[in-house]
Amino acid sequence: MIDLFIALSPLLTVGFGGLLLMLAEALGKPANNTGMSPDGAVVVDAGAGRSEELGLLATVILFSGAASSMGVWLADPATLGVELVSPWLQVDRYSLFFSFILCISGGLCTLLGGGYLEEHKIDRGEFFTLVVFSTVGAIALGFAGDLLTVFVALETMSLGVYCMIGLRRSSPRAGEAALKYFLLGSFAAAIMMFGAALLYAATGHTDLAGIGAFVGGLGGEASGETAMVIVGMLLMLIGMAFKISAVPFHMWAPDAYEGAPTPTTSFMAAAVKTAAFAVLLRILLIAFGDPRLMSWGAGWPPVMACLSVLSMTIANVIAGRQSSVKRMLAYSSISHAGYLLMGVCAAMRLPEEASASVMFYLAGYCISTIGAFGALILCGSRGKEAVSYADLAGIGRRHPAAAAAFALFVISLAGMPPTAGFFGKLYVFRATIDAELYSLAIIGLLNSIVGAYYYMKVLVFMYMREPIPGAPIAIPMRSSMVVSALIIAAALVVAIGVLPGALLEMAAVAAAALS
Amino acid sequence: MDIFPTNDFTLLAVILSFPLIGAFVNGVFGKRLGKEAVTLMALSAIGVPFLASVATFSKLLDIRAVQHAAGAGSADHVEQGARLYWHAWDWLDLAWTGGETTLSVAFSVDGLSGIMALVVTGVGFLIHVYSTSYMADDPGYHRFFSYLNLFIFSMLVLILGDSLPVLFVGWEGVGLCSYLLIGFWFQDDANAAAGKKAFLVNRIGDFGLLVAMALLLRYTGSLSWEGIEANSGNLPNQILKVWQMPEVLAFSFLPDWLLLNEPTIATLIGLCLFLGCAGKSAQLPLYVWLPDAMAGPTPVSALIHAATMVTAGVYLVCRLSFLFVLSPATMFTIAMTGALTAVFAATIAFVQNDIKKVLAYSTVSQLGYMFLGVGVGAFTAGFFHVLTHAFFKACLFLGAGSVIHTMHSRIHDTDSSQDGRNMGGLRAYMPVTCVTFFVSCLAIAGVFPLSGFFSKDAILIGALTNTVSSSGGVHDAFVWPEWAGSVLFGMGLIGAVMTAFYMARLYIMIFEGDFKGWSIVAGWKEPEGHDHHDDHGDGDEPIDGPAPHESPNAMTAPLLVLAALAAVSGLLSAHDLGTHWLDHWLDPVFANALGNVVTDAEAGSMVPYIASAATFAGLGGAYFVYVMRGGDPARELAEKVPALHELIYDKWRIDELYDELFVATLETLAEVSIFLDKWVVDGIIARASAGVVAGAGSVLRLFQVGRVQAYAAAMVIGSVAFAGFFLLPHARVQLNGDLSNGQYELVASPGLGYQYSWDLDGDGEFAEDDFADKNTANIRLNTGKTVEVGLKVRNAFGLIRTVTIPLTRPDPSADETETAGVQGRATGQLADIEGRQR
Repeated sequence: MIDLFIALSPLLTVGFGGLLLMLAEALGKPANNTGMSPDGAVVVDAGAGRSEELGLLATVILFSGAASSMGVWLADPATLGVELVSPWLQVDRYSLFFSFILCISGGLCTLLGGGYLEEHKIDRGEFFTLVVFSTVGAIALGFAGDLLTVFVALETMSLGVYCMIGLRRSSPRAGEAALKYFLLGSFAAAIMMFGAALLYAATGHTDLAGIGAFVGGLGGEASGETAMVIVGMLLMLIGMAFKISAVPFHMWAPDAYEGAPTPTTSFMAAAVKTAAFAVLLRILLIAFGDPRLMSWGAGWPPVMACLSVLSMTIANVIAGRQSSVKRMLAYSSISHAGYLLMGVCAAMRLPEEASASVMFYLAGYCISTIGAFGALILCGSRGKEAVSYADLAGIGRRHPAAAAAFALFVISLAGMPPTAGFFGKLYVFRATIDAELYSLAIIGLLNSIVGAYYYMKVLVFMYMREPIPGAPIAIPMRSSMVVSALIIAAALVVAIGVLPGALLEMAAVAAAALS
Repeated sequence: MDIFPTNDFTLLAVILSFPLIGAFVNGVFGKRLGKEAVTLMALSAIGVPFLASVATFSKLLDIRAVQHAAGAGSADHVEQGARLYWHAWDWLDLAWTGGETTLSVAFSVDGLSGIMALVVTGVGFLIHVYSTSYMADDPGYHRFFSYLNLFIFSMLVLILGDSLPVLFVGWEGVGLCSYLLIGFWFQDDANAAAGKKAFLVNRIGDFGLLVAMALLLRYTGSLSWEGIEANSGNLPNQILKVWQMPEVLAFSFLPDWLLLNEPTIATLIGLCLFLGCAGKSAQLPLYVWLPDAMAGPTPVSALIHAATMVTAGVYLVCRLSFLFVLSPATMFTIAMTGALTAVFAATIAFVQNDIKKVLAYSTVSQLGYMFLGVGVGAFTAGFFHVLTHAFFKACLFLGAGSVIHTMHSRIHDTDSSQDGRNMGGLRAYMPVTCVTFFVSCLAIAGVFPLSGFFSKDAILIGALTNTVSSSGGVHDAFVWPEWAGSVLFGMGLIGAVMTAFYMARLYIMIFEGDFKGWSIVAGWKEPEGHDHHDDHGDGDEPIDGPAPHESPNAMTAPLLVLAALAAVSGLLSAHDLGTHWLDHWLDPVFANALGNVVTDAEAGSMVPYIASAATFAGLGGAYFVYVMRGGDPARELAEKVPALHELIYDKWRIDELYDELFVATLETLAEVSIFLDKWVVDGIIARASAGVVAGAGSVLRLFQVGRVQAYAAAMVIGSVAFAGFFLLPHARVQLNGDLSNGQYELVASPGLGYQYSWDLDGDGEFAEDDFADKNTANIRLNTGKTVEVGLKVRNAFGLIRTVTIPLTRPDPSADETETAGVQGRATGQLADIEGRQR
C-alpha cells in the first residue's frame, strides 16, 4: 500500500501542497501597503501583497512534484503495485514523463507570477493556488486511463485556468477572455462528454484499453456499435482539438491568451496544451489504436493531418500580421500544435518513434514558450509594458540581458540550433518522414520558414531598430523571481539543445510504456 | 588503485578545462583583475595542461613499455599502440545511419596526439611567457590572453577529439581565435581585413571537410576514428558517377585522375578532406590568407600561424592516414600540391623585405614539405617535420618579434619596424636573439646535425623512394606515374636550396653589416617602386630613439629553450645516427596505412649527401651574394629583369588574380543578384507572395471578430467537416505489383466497419451483396493486357462508393527501354492510386 502512495506521489505532493498553500494564504496576514486594487478600492484578500512568498511556496511545491516524478521514474513504477488504481490512473513512465514536464512548467509559471502580479498590482493569492490545482488536473490528465478520469481531470485543469484568466477583475478584457474561454470550453467539454457516453454505450467500457479491445473485436459488417464508436471517436477528437487549440477550434485562444495575465498565458500555452497532448496520444493509440481506425484511408490520421496543416498554415499566416507580440506568441503556440499534430499523425505507422518525438518536442516547446512569455514580462514594467514590436525597439542595447534571454527563446521557438526547439523539430520531422508522410513534412518545413519570419522580427526590433523619438518605450521590470525563472528556462533550453540524447532516450522509454 | 584508468582517462578533462577556464576568467573579469592576476591566470591555464600532458605522455610510455616487454619474446610481435580514452557525454543519436549508435563527445590520446598535445602546450607555454613581456604595454592585455587561452583550448579539442565532429568543433574554434587574433589591433582596417580574409578563405576548406563528414556518415556510418577505420575497407570499391562523359569528349589522352569521372568514394572523401587541410594549412591554392595573417601580434604568428594551428591539416592527414592511402589519386594530389607549394612559396620569400613576410612564406613552404611527406606515405617523416618545424619556426618568429620589439621602440611605426632594410648589424646589440635566430636558421636550412636536417631528409627520401598503390580496389585505376618519385624529389631539393638561401639572406639582413636604423624617420614609408634597396636614408634626418637593445628575460628565455629544442629534437628520429625512436613510437598509428605504401629502400641511400650539398649551396650562395658582394648581384639581377622581380615581389600577383577571377566574378554575380532581387524577387515574388499572405491574413483576421458566436460557428463548421469525412466512404487503393510475373496485389485501405466487394475481371458486374471483410485482392495479368478492376466499398453507415482501378501490364517486347524503365520503377515499390469514381 505504501508503494502505491509512492507511485502516486507526484499527484499527491502537488495536491496536498495546493491545500497547504490555500491554508498558508488564508491564515497569513495580508500585507497592508499593497492591498489596494488599481481603482483605489480596498481589496479584502488575505493573500494580497504576498505574491512573492506565495509564489515561492507554489514553486517549491511544483518543483518537488517534478522531483517526486523523477524519483518514481527511477524507482520503476511497474514494481510499485499500481494495478490497484489501474485503469483509472495509469502510473507508468509515460505519465511520469508528462508529470515531470507539467510540474516544471507550472513551477516556472508561478515564478513568473510572483514577479508579474506584484509589479502589476494584481497580486492576489488565489492565483498560485489555482496554478497548483490546475497542475494537479493536468498531471491527472497525463495519468488518466479511463474516460471518467479524463473528464474529471480535464475539468479540474480547466476550471482553474478560467479563473486565472479573469484574475484582473477590473479589466473588462480579462473578463471577456475568461468568459469566452469558459463558454467555448464548456461547449467542447459537452461534445467530448457526449462522445464518451456514446463510446460507453457502444462498448460497455469506459477504460481506454477496454474500448480498444472491444473495437479490435468488432467485425466488418455495419452495425450500431461500429457507427457509435466512429461517432464517439469523432466527438472525442473535436473535444481534444479544442484543448490543443488546433485550427478551426482555436479561435478562443488568441483572445484568451491576450486578455489573460501573462503568467496565465504561459501556463495555458505550455501546461494545458501539453496535458491535452498527453491524453490525446494515449486515447488515440490505446482506445483507437485498431489498424482500421489508424488507417490513412478512413481513420483518424487524415483528420489529424488536416488539423495539422490548417493549424500550421493559418496560425503562421495570421501570426505574421500581428503587431502585438503577445498575440503573435499566442498564434505561434497554435502553429506549434500543428507541428505536434504532424508527429501524432506519424504515430499511426511508428507509434513509439513518433510519440517519443512529440514528447521531446513538448518538453522543449514548454520551456521555450514559457521563457518567451517570461522574457516579454521582464521587458516591461507597470505602465511601460512591452506589447507591440515597436515597444521592443532598441531593447537589445538598453537592456542586453533581457533581450538576450528573449532572443534565445525566440530562436528556440523558431527551431534553430543549438536550442531545444531545433532538436524537437528535427525529431518530429524525422518521425514524419520515416512514417512516409512526405507531403505533410514538406508543408511543415515551409511553415517553419514562414514562422521564422515573425520570430526574427522580434530580434530585428530588439537589436536593429531604435525607438521612434517620443514613442512610449518598454522599461524592463526588476524581479529576482522572473529572472530566476528565465535563467532556469534558458539553462534547460541550451542544455537540451546541446545534449538532446538523454532527454530523447527518456522520451523513447516513456513512449515504449504507452503501447 | 589506478585513478586514471585507460578507458576513463579523466586527466584529459583537466587538460581541456584549464585553458577554457582561463579564457573565461580573463575574458569576463580580466579588466577588473589587473595585469598580475591576468598573467597568473593565463600562465596557469597553459602550464597545468602542459604538466598534465607530460603525465599523459609518461602514461603512454608506460603502456608501450609493458607491451614491448610482453612481446619481447616473439619475433612477429606487432605492437598494439597505446590509447587513452575519455568519454564526456553522448551527443546525438545516430542509430538511423546503420553504423554507430551514438555520436559521443569523446576524447582520446594516442602516440600521435600525445606528441601534438606536448608541442601545443609546451610551445604554447613558452609563447605565453614571451607574450607577458611582448604585450605588456598593450591596453588589450587581458583580451589577448583570453583569446590565446581559448585558442589553446580549441587546439586541444582539435587534437584530442575522438571523432571528426569533435575535431571540427576545435577546427572552427582555432579558426575563430585566429580571426580574432589576426584582427587583434582591429582599429587598423588592414588588420581587420586580414582577419576577414583568413576567415573567408578557411570557409572554402571547411566546406570540403563538411562534405567529407557527410560522405563518411553516408558510406561508413560512423564518424569516430575507430569507427571510420573499421568500416572504411570497402570505400575504394564504391564509385560515385559524377557525370556521364560522352564518348567524343572522353579526353582519353588525359590521365584518369584529372578527369575525376567516376572517382571512388575513397578518392572523393580524401579530396574533400584535403580541401579542408589545404585551407587550414595554407596550401596552394588557398595559401593566400597566411601571409596576411601576420598582421596579428608576433607571438600569435609564432603560436598559431607557424607552430600549431597551421599544422592541423597535416595532423588530420596523419590521423586519417588509413583513409587517405585507400586512394592513390588523393595521395598523389597531396604530394604534388605540397611540393608545388614548397617551391612556389619559397620563390616569394626570396625577395620580401618585411621580415615577418619572409617567415610567413617560409612557413607556407615548410607546410608544403610536410604535405609532400605525408602525401608520399612517409607519414612519420611528415609528422617529424611538424615537430621540428614547431620548434625552429616558433623560435624564428619570436626572434623576429624580439627584433621588431626593439625596432618599434625606436621607430614607432609598425611597417618600418618590420622592414629588414632598416635593420642590419643587430648582432652586436641583441646577442641572445642573434644566436638563437642563427641556430634556428641553420636548423630550417637543414644543416647537419640540427633537427631540420633529419626531418627534411626523411621527407626527401620518402619522396624519392615511395609510391602509394591501390589496395586492390577494382575501380581506382590510378597508378602513380613513373616520374613521380624523381620529380617530387627534384622539387623538394630545389625547395631546400631556396630555403637555405632566403633564410641566410634574412639572417644577414637583420644581424650582419651595419645598423641602418639610425636615420629612419618616424612614419617612414616605402617610396614608389620596389627596387630601392640602396640609399633611401640619404635625405632623412637621424632620429633620437633609443639604441637597439636586447629584449627582457621573459622574451629571451623562451628563445633559448626553443633554440635548444630546434637543435637537438632531430635526434628523435636521426636515421643517419641510428636513432629510430619516433618511428617505433608512431608505428602502431600508421600500421594500417603503410600496407599500401611501397618503398624502394635502396634508392634513398645517397639522399643525405645530396640534401646537404643543396643546403650548403643555398647558404653559400647567400653568403656570396649578400656578404661578399654586399647584395650587388641581387640588385643587378633585379635591374636586368625588373618585370620578373616586381612580379615575384608582388607575390606573383596571386591576390590580384583571385580578385580578378573570383572576387570580380562574385561581384558581378552579386550585381546580377541585386538586380534580380530588386526587380524579380522583391518586386514580383516577395511583393506578390507577401501580398497574398498579408491578404490571407487580413481575410482570416476578419473571422477573428471577437464575437463568441462566430467562434462557436467555426467549431461547428469544423465538426461538420470532420463528420462528413467519417460519414462518407473512402476507397483508397494501394497497388503492389511485380511486373516480372504479372502478379498484382490490390490493397484497399482499411476502415472500421468497412466491407469490400471486388470486380476482378473488369466486366463491371459485382456479385449481389458480395461484401466481405477482405480488403485485398490478387490478380494476375498477361503481358500487354489491361483490365479495369472494380471495387465497391461500404462503410459503417451503409453508404457505398464504387471505384475502378485501371491496371496495365506493359509488353516488354513492344518497347525495350520503356519497359525497363517501368519495371525499374514498379518492382517492389508501392504505387498509391486514388480510385476513380465510376
